Amino acid sequence: MAEAIQKKLKAEVEKYSQMQKDVSKSMSARQKLETQLAENNIVKEELDLLDTTNTVYKLIGPVLVKQDLDEAKATVTKRLEYINGEIQRYETLLKDMEKKSDNHRELLSSLQQEYQRAQGLAVGKV
Amino acid sequence: KCLEKVVLAAFCQSVVMIFSEKVSGDYEALNDRLKTLPDQLSYDIMVPFGPLAFMPGKLVHTNEVTALLGDNWFAKCSTKQAQKIVDHRMKYVKSELNDLSKTMKNFEARVGLVKDLETISSSKGGYVDIREDTENTDIAVTKGKQRKAHKPNSKPKLDAVLHLKKEVEENEEESRDGGSGKDITTKEELWARLDELEKLEELQDEQDRLSYNADMNGEDTSSFSSEEEKEGDAAPPENGLGQKPSWTSAPHSKAQPSSDREAEDDDEEEEGGGLPTIFFSHTTEPKKVRINTGKNTMLKFSERKEQKDLSKRKNKNGHSNGHSHHELHKISTPADIYRVFVDMKNGEPIPRKSILKSRSRENSVCSESSESSAADFEERRMTGRSLSHDDTTHSDTSDGITEEESPTAVPLHPASRFEAFSGTVVEKDPMPSAVPHLTIAPPALPTILERKQEEVAPDVAPPQQAPKRVSKFKAARLLQK
Repeated sequence: MAEAIQKKLKAEVEKYSQMQKDVSKSMSARQKLETQLAENNIVKEELDLLDTTNTVYKLIGPVLVKQDLDEAKATVTKRLEYINGEIQRYETLLKDMEKKSDNHRELLSSLQQEYQRAQGLAVGKV
Repeated sequence: KCLEKVVLAAFCQSVVMIFSEKVSGDYEALNDRLKTLPDQLSYDIMVPFGPLAFMPGKLVHTNEVTALLGDNWFAKCSTKQAQKIVDHRMKYVKSELNDLSKTMKNFEARVGLVKDLETISSSKGGYVDIREDTENTDIAVTKGKQRKAHKPNSKPKLDAVLHLKKEVEENEEESRDGGSGKDITTKEELWARLDELEKLEELQDEQDRLSYNADMNGEDTSSFSSEEEKEGDAAPPENGLGQKPSWTSAPHSKAQPSSDREAEDDDEEEEGGGLPTIFFSHTTEPKKVRINTGKNTMLKFSERKEQKDLSKRKNKNGHSNGHSHHELHKISTPADIYRVFVDMKNGEPIPRKSILKSRSRENSVCSESSESSAADFEERRMTGRSLSHDDTTHSDTSDGITEEESPTAVPLHPASRFEAFSGTVVEKDPMPSAVPHLTIAPPALPTILERKQEEVAPDVAPPQQAPKRVSKFKAARLLQK
């Protein structure tokens, strides 16, 4: 009885740890997105300041590709929107994952209690 | 843990701040370079050729700068424009720095608070607990011995008991001497009795407060008697005071010292006729005792002194009190009734204060409380003795004051007790005395009762404690502990 519970407990613990990892991953991804968002905002501002006399380049790999100012502006704006959308998505995902992890935590605690009880019984029996 | 977190957060913030400072420094340098760069058309420089070699070269197009806008976006612009960009970046960095510093301060504040809390909690917890324990243990030890001494109803023992005050080693010693003859083995019995008495007291208190029934009288008397015994045996310092008079007065004294250990002393004295009046009051403040000095003047003394004084005064006060009591009990006119409810007249009749103000009175050296309590006890005793009478009277008088009966009942007890102490059944007018009590102040009765309960004990033992009523025994125990 106790052993079975123990196995269960282990499995649940693993699941829970996995969930925790997922949560942390999504968290970090979200943070990245946030930094990108900030950067893109700055870029947008700078682009607005520039006039057509300057040429805008985009770094694609090792290559600097010439870009039109307007195109650049549009691209940056689009990217900004995309980033925002991504952040939203990640946020919802994070919430769900947190809920799941909480539920899992409760389950774990209950299982632990059972296990302890079983252990106690076993000890008593012994 | 919280503290640690806060510390870490603060540390991080500081690190970030330092980093930001570096960044801003770099930007400053960049700004300077941009300013000087377009001064010349071209510069002769040593161009780094790999990690180990340099090549002489020229720096041309000094005004053209390809600036990184962010996110892999570049813009070719003049140095001035580049400078603008740099300025923007600088602003951004500075704002970030400010925010970080603010958060750092917040964290630091939190850290400080947590530290203070820790220090406070740690410091407080240690001292108080230790001190209290030691004190209690000391008291308990002494009390036990005291109680033993009380068992034998002997004046010298009583004296010893009286002297035995919680905090007075001298008294304790005296009591020990006096009670040396007693069996020490009864200590446990005493404690047990004390517990019983406490329970009884509690019951009585509840009854007195709630029921206000004549039954209380019976119970009170019974409880008192039991309490007296207990008090005698397990004399909390408070009881010592009350017990003394009770014991001296003989078995009746047992009934008297019931609720108020200290009050008993007063009661006994107040009752006069050589018997101190015992007021039923749950001494919440065992340390202070109200002693009838002179005519029903209850003064608050420390238990020690009072006990000693009581023993001395008994003789003196008893007589005086007795007379006063007798006078009080002789109710032939409404004025007599008033007198009963009025504290002993030290020159002038002092009306008793309402029971509601019991606490305040108790704490103050007032004859009123004592007198009133004394009167209450008288009444109680009177009623106690003549329970039958009292009940009837109570019922008669307190038609609508069923609850008040309890207060009256209480006064009956003292009255009855008073008689006992005096040795003569001074139930001259148990009815009248009781009746007047009932009739005089139906509202007063409850108040008086409350007073008795509260003040009597507190009277004897100055009620400094909170409104919470604690039986004498309990209080004594608490003191001991």
